[in-house]
Amino acid sequence: MNNRVRELRTALGWSQADLGEHLDVSRQTVNAIETGKYDPSLPLAFKIAGLFSLSIESIFTPEP
Amino acid sequence: MAMRAVHKRYLREFFPAMAGYMILLFVSVSWLKSLDGTLARTLVTLLPALPIAFVIRAMVRVIRDQDEFERRIDLEAIAIAGGIGGFGFFTYGLLLNARVLEQPTGASVAVWVFPILLGLFGVAKCAIRFYYRSHE
Repeated sequence: MNNRVRELRTALGWSQADLGEHLDVSRQTVNAIETGKYDPSLPLAFKIAGLFSLSIESIFTPEP
Repeated sequence: MAMRAVHKRYLREFFPAMAGYMILLFVSVSWLKSLDGTLARTLVTLLPALPIAFVIRAMVRVIRDQDEFERRIDLEAIAIAGGIGGFGFFTYGLLLNARVLEQPTGASVAVWVFPILLGLFGVAKCAIRFYYRSHE
């Protein structure tokens, strides 16, 4: 799955650790999501979407 | 990066339990030299297993309470360690059964099962974490 998490995070000037703290996950987890190595669960995806005030589908898109 | 609270708690639980294991192992081995009676020897022999139960409890708690990606890494590592460990002991058992290897005592094999599983878990976890890190 593709996502815009890195783009949205850097737009706020946050580090991966900062985002991890907001989401209550590790920096490693944020990195794995950003690089597409790990697709978050639905609850975590909702948390990410809520944090950026966007819908899940505007952040996460299926790979073509 | 600062350690997360769940991992701090794990270390707070893990290290005292391991210290207790080492102390009770020393006590148990020393005591058994002069102890008679099946029940007494059984209880004293099993003394070091008590803190190991707390080590397992600490591991279960950290796996349950860490974030979903960390949990995935740990569960993958446990699956790999269990698979390799089980396969290793199974093939070792076949070779022993065929008498192509020197016959050890049952105790000397059984006592290594848990440490080998933990060791394999550690190696597998490092390898999985390295895999994810190598793609940063």
